[in-house]
Amino acid sequence: MMFIRDIFDKLKPKFSKGGRFEKFSSTFEAFESFAFTPNTVTGSGQRAYKGSHIRDAVDLKRTIITVVIALMPALLFGMWNIGHQTSVAYSLDWGFWQEFWNGFLRMLPIIVVSYVVGLVIEFFFAEIRHEEVSEGFIGTGMIIAMIVPVTVPLWQLALAVAFAVVIGKEVFGGSGYNFLNPALVARAFLFFSYPTHMSGDSVWIATPFHFTGDAVTGATPLGQLMASQPLSASAIDMFIGTIPGSTCETSVVAILLGAVLLLLTGIASWRIMLSVVIGGGLMGLLFNAIGANEYMQLPFYYHYLMGGFAFGCVFMATDPVTAAQTNTGKWIYGFLIGAFAVLLRVLNPAYPEGMMLAILLMNCFAPLIDHCVVARNINKRKKRWLAAERRTV
Amino acid sequence: MTYKITKGLDINIPGTAQRHIAELADAKYYAVKPSDYVGMVPRLLVAEGDSVKAGTPLLEDKQHPGIPYVSPVSGVVHAVVRGEKRALLAVVVKSDGKQESVCFPTFDLDKCDTAADKTDLQSNLRKQMIDSGLWTLLRQRPFGIVPPPDSKPKAVFVSAFDSSPLPVNYEFVLQDRVEDFQMGITVLASIVGKVHISIGKLENKKPPRSFTKNMKPPREPFFTNIQNAEIHSFEGKHPASLVGTQIAKIDPINKGEQVWTVNPQDVAIIGHLFRTGEYRPERTVALCGPVVKDPHYMRLISGVSLRSLGIESTTGNDIRFICGNVLSGTAESIDGFLSSSCDKVSVLPEGDYYDFLGWLRPNFKKFSFSRTFLSGFLSRFKGCTPKYDFDTGRHGSHRPLFVTGEFEKLTPLDIYPMQLIKACIIGDIELMENLGIYEVEPEDLALCEFADTSKTEIQAIIRNALETIRKDG
Repeated sequence: MMFIRDIFDKLKPKFSKGGRFEKFSSTFEAFESFAFTPNTVTGSGQRAYKGSHIRDAVDLKRTIITVVIALMPALLFGMWNIGHQTSVAYSLDWGFWQEFWNGFLRMLPIIVVSYVVGLVIEFFFAEIRHEEVSEGFIGTGMIIAMIVPVTVPLWQLALAVAFAVVIGKEVFGGSGYNFLNPALVARAFLFFSYPTHMSGDSVWIATPFHFTGDAVTGATPLGQLMASQPLSASAIDMFIGTIPGSTCETSVVAILLGAVLLLLTGIASWRIMLSVVIGGGLMGLLFNAIGANEYMQLPFYYHYLMGGFAFGCVFMATDPVTAAQTNTGKWIYGFLIGAFAVLLRVLNPAYPEGMMLAILLMNCFAPLIDHCVVARNINKRKKRWLAAERRTV
Repeated sequence: MTYKITKGLDINIPGTAQRHIAELADAKYYAVKPSDYVGMVPRLLVAEGDSVKAGTPLLEDKQHPGIPYVSPVSGVVHAVVRGEKRALLAVVVKSDGKQESVCFPTFDLDKCDTAADKTDLQSNLRKQMIDSGLWTLLRQRPFGIVPPPDSKPKAVFVSAFDSSPLPVNYEFVLQDRVEDFQMGITVLASIVGKVHISIGKLENKKPPRSFTKNMKPPREPFFTNIQNAEIHSFEGKHPASLVGTQIAKIDPINKGEQVWTVNPQDVAIIGHLFRTGEYRPERTVALCGPVVKDPHYMRLISGVSLRSLGIESTTGNDIRFICGNVLSGTAESIDGFLSSSCDKVSVLPEGDYYDFLGWLRPNFKKFSFSRTFLSGFLSRFKGCTPKYDFDTGRHGSHRPLFVTGEFEKLTPLDIYPMQLIKACIIGDIELMENLGIYEVEPEDLALCEFADTSKTEIQAIIRNALETIRKDG
């Protein structure tokens, strides 16, 4: 690898202060630190540095890349399922690889547009702020591509990504300072700006390439329930994910594989995941008990299998920046996400999917939840101070 | 009483000092460094070429004149080292090898019966502590400063064991100094009233009754036999041995209260002076670390130059000398001097290398508290202890605080570390107070700094916040 190192070492002076391409120093740094973990030592440049001389091997790149790896099962399944849904809807009788290849070709432009638009903006903001480029968007960009309908017009997607990165993140200072999950900001932007392209029956199945006839429609389970139609998919289908839906969020089993990796590596909070499941389940059971209409009578575990519940629970509710930060807060935050997601699905006729709005809503309330949890600790401490004062008086 | 610390992390770095003590024969240069004392504004009391004895004042703090910082050895003032803007970095004394001390009166602490005697004795002890320079061995919490002369602490805390990486065995290093240590504890108890000593976990969990005569006793009964102090026992992970952890469990600091903390070897130095009248800051220091050839202990006088220790490295690469433990110690160059109250010199290889695709490779050699590395993941299984390479590399770039939940697993105090750190960053003093800033010193959050994914310099942030509060009044 020395020859790659040599290239970077040769280029470095040009991008450093006083160099010809000084303006692109952040961009250079991003590529360099992508190839090589920097050689910085603890307390570098400080005389008599006092602090921790050893550091953990983990860094944010490692954390984010673990999330991206966890997304892979759902992504690969999603690619196949896109082709599979087209094949089934148009009775094309494609084989496995043909289905995967078609899905791959559909998915590729979506991923490319999401990454290119997002990263260009990220690099731009890093350069004007003279900061290093944060790797946060490597995860966000992938997630955005995975939660849109396959037929999303690319210009709409580009606008949504730009909106999410600028308004959802950069205006607050960039990755780590945002209070809303940027991937969900992008999806909400699409949902409210172009509702006809984001819901209904005609957006979930890609037409085959070079196809000129009438498009076949396919409804998602949530869409069918909203229209009071009988469910066409079984619980097993929904669990495996061979149903129409957003690009890569249909397969609960693939998402669970990702969840296992996130929990084993400890990247995502098990408290949040578990409490989302408990919150959603209890709300489902509550509706079962009321049982006023068919939707309410739906077995509670169907909510786990339909729509973006599983994906949101594993990959988006657990975003550490926008979730509650205290352990107690995480329980409350997750529970309310699960509960609100099911509540919105069953009771609100305008939105078939409640998960997106539930997470965004709780993103807004996460700081308040933390404030209350921390306030208890503060009150405890103040009581101890008072008791000590009384003892001395 | 036994306290169990469940939150934390033991980092096992190879190269712990073996149990043999070498004598440092002829070291020439010794120094007193103002940077060892938080917030000190030094005023020089001697000039180059002056002859001094051990215990002769070299410096004083402009904020609290009258508390001398004294010479550790007898000899002549060799140099006054100054840095940028003429900041005083060190006063170097060249030893004459005789180790003559200023003579101080000795005390018989058993001979005071009436209450009037006791207050008299108390003020005499305080005065001698200050005059002899022993006062500067004390640290006051909050703020980690040398206590002001009128300080009225509620208790003194001594942590007599070490759970940090490359631990020092205090029972071993103090084995010949029982009388000095006991005298030091008695002096502190007479001045303050209450002394808490915390000792490590008993090696054998069975009650001592089951021991037969032939069996080795479970521990050297050094600290358990000490009088005039409350003995507490701590077990569990690091930071069990940090005095901040122990204070929080035994008797937490409230707003407006102070406590003193003293290093156990400094207790023996205090005791020695009151017993014999001689100022002799002798201590046994561990020379340890993964690249040290033959890690062992060395008996020496505080403030000695590091070069004279003759530490041999097993690698040809750059190394770093750290006075104190690797999580919160001070880096010193080979031309530097041992810090005050320093019980070990940890030596680490510098980590200034590039790591190709370091964020992607599974990596069995790197230590991580997170389970994102195979090495860290495997180490959770019994019988699987990978050998790690430790160095001073930061292993990544600095980012805003991102990941949550790490710090809570590493902080056994009843505080919210993430919220406290953020309050310190924004400088909200009231919020810091409410979140418990008075209960921490930077070292108490050292493990958080170690494990932080975002590579934040947490200890510096805490120190700056504490200094801001202290200067505000």
